[in-house]
Amino acid sequence: MTKILLSDKLDNCVQRWKSAGITVIGPVQRANISTYAAVEHASEFDLGIVLTDRSIKELFFPQTEPMLRYTIKKDAIDTDEFMPPAGPRIIFGGRPCDASGMAIDDPLFGWDYKDEYWFKRRNESVIVSIACAKADEFCMCTSLNLSPDSSKGSDVLLRPLENGKGWQVEELTERGREAFTTIADFLQESSDKVAPLAEVEKKFDLETCVDWLQKPENFESRFWKEISMRCIGCASCTYLCPTCHCFDIQDEGDTYSGFRRKNWDSCSFALFTMHTSGHNPRSTQSARWRQRIMHKFNYFPGKFSANSCSGCGRCTRQCPVDMGITETLQEISKLMQ
Amino acid sequence: MSEPFEPKIIAFVCTYCTYAGADLAGTSRLKYAPNVRIIRLPCTGRISPMFILKALQKGADGVLISGCHPGDCHFTHGNYHARRRWMVFRALLDFIGIPPERVKYSWISAAEGVKFAEFINSVTEDIRKLGPFEQYNQLIEQTQAPASL
Amino acid sequence: MSIEEQYRTRAKELLSGGAVKMVIGYAKGTAGNRRRPVFISSPDEVDRLVLDEACIANLSGYLVSEGLLSDEKRVAVFLRPEGIRAINILAAESQLDSEQIVIFGFDVSGNEVKALKGIHVEEFTEVIEAIKESAPETTNEELLEKIEKMSPQERFSFWQEEFAKCIKCYACRQACPMCYCRRCIVDSNQPQWVNTSSHSLGNFEWNIVRAFHLAGRCVECGNCDRACPVNIPLRLINRKMAQEVLGAFDHFAGMSRTQEPVLASFKKDDSETFIL
Repeated sequence: MTKILLSDKLDNCVQRWKSAGITVIGPVQRANISTYAAVEHASEFDLGIVLTDRSIKELFFPQTEPMLRYTIKKDAIDTDEFMPPAGPRIIFGGRPCDASGMAIDDPLFGWDYKDEYWFKRRNESVIVSIACAKADEFCMCTSLNLSPDSSKGSDVLLRPLENGKGWQVEELTERGREAFTTIADFLQESSDKVAPLAEVEKKFDLETCVDWLQKPENFESRFWKEISMRCIGCASCTYLCPTCHCFDIQDEGDTYSGFRRKNWDSCSFALFTMHTSGHNPRSTQSARWRQRIMHKFNYFPGKFSANSCSGCGRCTRQCPVDMGITETLQEISKLMQ
Repeated sequence: MSEPFEPKIIAFVCTYCTYAGADLAGTSRLKYAPNVRIIRLPCTGRISPMFILKALQKGADGVLISGCHPGDCHFTHGNYHARRRWMVFRALLDFIGIPPERVKYSWISAAEGVKFAEFINSVTEDIRKLGPFEQYNQLIEQTQAPASL
Repeated sequence: MSIEEQYRTRAKELLSGGAVKMVIGYAKGTAGNRRRPVFISSPDEVDRLVLDEACIANLSGYLVSEGLLSDEKRVAVFLRPEGIRAINILAAESQLDSEQIVIFGFDVSGNEVKALKGIHVEEFTEVIEAIKESAPETTNEELLEKIEKMSPQERFSFWQEEFAKCIKCYACRQACPMCYCRRCIVDSNQPQWVNTSSHSLGNFEWNIVRAFHLAGRCVECGNCDRACPVNIPLRLINRKMAQEVLGAFDHFAGMSRTQEPVLASFKKDDSETFIL
């Protein structure tokens, strides 16, 4: 016997959480795109899609946010800090790949400097993920040592029931337990079976790839130019990736006052590494593509013991020229054979 | 009783015609609304649509652009280029939903002090009636607010 | 022989004879009917080239990638009529020497692909004129009409909702053959004309600026629209601008290598109704 939540009780849960002052957020369809947004009713959720177009990262690391307002006076500069909006939240219905992306980024945002913006949101959020019963041809979680029912990064994991009526509940963390205690009377015991998990074919052998990446002589390989010839240098992959975390600090203002903002940035942009001297160490798209792959599968793991990738596949799904990391890693695997 | 709404209007004008016309309005002691802040450029050909966007970004309720009559440009054909640019930009702004009544264009020569004063007065009244540019002000406010989630 | 086979043979000949150093075409993508750009430099690889109704991306943008044409060798490229118009515009704007471009022209209507005869861009003038005359409808014509019927406030709200999605990934800019500026206006910060942050205001400004910079230059290939990861109907804005310059100045972008850019030229009798 296990605990289950029936889908016709979901709205009761949403209302119960809301009345406890918790914002409920989940996958919705908005203006031709699927994304995460706060909901009033469970009917707004779209829980049947394989994966939202936009990732859960936006809820912890928004595209743009003000950090402080400054006013330049005669003898002083006044500043006013902005902090993330306060308030507990439950993020219901995301996928395990999205949740694991947040766990992957935690050590980075807490590394040499604790990013208050990230942690304030992380500490106030409960992530309830739903394991995947379907995948598409772009999914690759299994190639990253994750799976359609990974618990990494989630506070509660729900597994869809075979009869389609709801989900089996697995509380993973203290925060998850607390959130589900609030709605305990909507849960019930059951021996209903869980639906089979999505089958996600392994696309490449990660260890082989990492070995190749770690060999110093491969840094200058012709491979990088060949594989990235079609890359147009936009930031679609970066911005939709749950683990990409680079940002730029921009001041928007004039002589007297303005706002300092934290905005997303991407290593794919030509100007990302442009120095004020005019020298650009990564002046070709192939150097930038190489950086992307090396960072995700070589440098980041070197520091944080985890690959900066959760296998969600959005990079390939959305790439205007059908790139993304899958093909690169598949080709690298072939090189090692 | 609440104060009447005073629109903030930015005018981009050319030196040799409209600005001189404005000077003439001044020396002739013609009264005109004080709501317009004038920015003088050498020629309307120098006016980039960026300027109009910047004015709106900074909270202008209306923007005016004015220069020499076609054929009379001090630099021979700056205003012909400007005319083409405005035709295209106006259609763009209209399509995006920025009301065409908020961005006005005119030809005012150095001798037309009266026309200048009348133009300023009528545009100020028109924009006063339209009220503040709420939709754009909302966008500006969002840039000053914390992230929503 | 299918067009695909015809063009593969032609590619093989050009590459083995050294007439071109590279053929830029389409190859099968990751899944289904995805096609991806491919760069063939060896005659042995021509079988990777694919040509079918799923080949819709405009590949002309790759011709202005840094250094590609600087060795003065020739490059062949698979182009639909919009791509061919793009070559004319790029040549007119001095971004490339059209003598270096060998065109593998084709057009798709419904499920059929037909070849367009010609090698150099001048040979396609009639095809382009025919397109100007027939004024084909674009995708999403219905939505365009719907927007035109809205009031300014409704239009603003419509675009506000769309641009709120924008994440400033610049896929639209990078996918567009006409956006070749080394330093885009959004990258300038002395002064900063357009807010780079992706709040709604910054997104509005970016999309307005880009549409303006493309007015009279856009060939309506749809690359921007397809590239946008958040499904903003970008083509509509560019479509509107194309209609405007055609109506006001009888300008159809990309007719020839010597056509004057519409905003860099003028007629003394350009007529308008709104200048007071």
